[in-house]
Amino acid sequence: MDELRKGFHHELDVARKDLARLAAAVIEAIPRATTILLNGDLDGANALISDDDRIDALSVDLEERCYQLLALQAPVAGDLRQLVAIVKMVGDIERSADLTVNICKAARRVYGHDLDPRLRGLITRMSEQAQQLFSAALESFEENDASKAAAIDDMDSFLDGLQREFMRTIMEENSGSHIDLQVAIQMAMVARFYERIGDHAVNIGERVQYVVTGWLPEHKGAARYKQGIPRPNDDTGAIPIVLEDN
Amino acid sequence: MTYFLALLAIVGWGAAYFAWTRREQYVIAPMQDEVPVDIAPDNSATLDVLNSLRLGVVIVAANGEEIFRNVAATEVTGMRHADVLVDEVVERLIRAASVGNAGSEQIELAGPPQRVLDVRVTPLAEGGSIATIDDITERWKLDQIRTDFVANVSHELKTPVGAISVLAETIEGETEDELVLRLVRRMIMESQRMGRTIDDLLELSRIEMGGEMLLAPIDLNDVAQEAIERAQPIASRQGVSIHFESKTDQRTINGDYFQLVSAVSNLVDNAVKYSNAGGEVLVTTSSNNDDVEISVQDKGIGIPMASLERIFERFYRVDRARSRGTGGTGLGLAIVRHVVTNHGGEVNVRSREGEGSTFLLRFPRISVPK
Repeated sequence: MDELRKGFHHELDVARKDLARLAAAVIEAIPRATTILLNGDLDGANALISDDDRIDALSVDLEERCYQLLALQAPVAGDLRQLVAIVKMVGDIERSADLTVNICKAARRVYGHDLDPRLRGLITRMSEQAQQLFSAALESFEENDASKAAAIDDMDSFLDGLQREFMRTIMEENSGSHIDLQVAIQMAMVARFYERIGDHAVNIGERVQYVVTGWLPEHKGAARYKQGIPRPNDDTGAIPIVLEDN
Repeated sequence: MTYFLALLAIVGWGAAYFAWTRREQYVIAPMQDEVPVDIAPDNSATLDVLNSLRLGVVIVAANGEEIFRNVAATEVTGMRHADVLVDEVVERLIRAASVGNAGSEQIELAGPPQRVLDVRVTPLAEGGSIATIDDITERWKLDQIRTDFVANVSHELKTPVGAISVLAETIEGETEDELVLRLVRRMIMESQRMGRTIDDLLELSRIEMGGEMLLAPIDLNDVAQEAIERAQPIASRQGVSIHFESKTDQRTINGDYFQLVSAVSNLVDNAVKYSNAGGEVLVTTSSNNDDVEISVQDKGIGIPMASLERIFERFYRVDRARSRGTGGTGLGLAIVRHVVTNHGGEVNVRSREGEGSTFLLRFPRISVPK
């Protein structure tokens, strides 16, 4: 039997493909922004900052198409969850693209200042981890894999640990007067940008779980609140940084 | 009444015209949807040929429907996001080809690993289009190496010559003894630097030829010990300690002792130079079934990931400003690579900026009668 609502499902597929393309653009932008920061590449910074308008335009267009589909096609069940989730995920992806732009802007601000190799190494690690999180988010979305999506939250703990390690190193550098205060502040913000990119990837993972299962991880906290159970301490503490990943 | 009949006639004519145009569309539509079989590869031999290509091939029918994609085009980069971005470009170029415009685009992906792809789309005479996706990363890297080499070699050789010339000109008109002495010292330094570069170039050239190797059974522990002894003076000056550990008694290889010492010395020297004061360098020999390994590990400044692939190129500098201070010629690691290749071995490096580097040389082991 021919599929009913073929046109709608085609539109939904196109929307999913466009979301994947936006996420791919962010995954590509993360290492680019890092190289720009570490190499003081001002031309690269300008190019990546300019490209953000394209990401914004694609995001707005995708969001509007989703609203049109919601209004005109009245989707239900899984289709409805997909569209609602895409609308939420577009926001996370667009914001992550903005964060890569912020890294480029920080690169402009610290231009001409040498960074300590330890800080450079940690920036590279944070960038790799943020990229891995976003890649896992894209894969879980494309494969509708709720298990992979759930793992992103745990992967994010490692990025949080790296950010804490980075902050400690900046404090040490600053107390030893090895780093300019302005540069130290910019670097602290850069670490925060990577950490936030990781958080957005976690959000996307949660939305993928919602699409697949109809359940959001936030429901756990909400249920706890309704029952008056205090939130457990989920701080993962210091993540051990190993020299070699053998 | 007449007015009503006229209106009815107009409406009837309109409805008939509408139905006729719909009918036309109905007739034409399936023809558009029809896959033009003559451009689709339709026999197993052709499919095998297309699938064996390293070039990605995508064939699209006139209606925009993809009718063939070979294996290479299915997983172009091995990275999900990169494949999504490549697909986006292919789709864009195919849209342009559908109105008769051939097009191409070069995609540079940050990776890691960094990849460069060339996408070309050509409209087909029978309708539809063909897209090819070519991974040109290696060619692109070679181009970069060639361009950088010319710039680097001229920098390394011309800088000291230029400096000596300027210093000599200054001395010519100078009468103040103190200043002349300072300029002369500087000239000596620059000429020594040039001398070291020429020595290393000659050594590299000798090693590259590979003809003068004096092969004999060599104990890698002896090589390690001599390399450590050579680096000891500079290590003491910098406050860096060098430790040696042998994890095996199966460490004999067939090799040229002097070439091997030269290679390991280069690594130990680098490890010391790029360690912080109070740092430690660990030289280790070990073995497995077929190979003997010697590793040099430091906890110094490390190497940026983007430079890891390139550090074995001649005159490649991770940080030119920093390298000048270490007195290196930019040829040390090129020598290491050639020595290892001459001995049928391989060299690997693991490094993180700020955490240190480990160079691992692996050679085929030979058994020595006891």
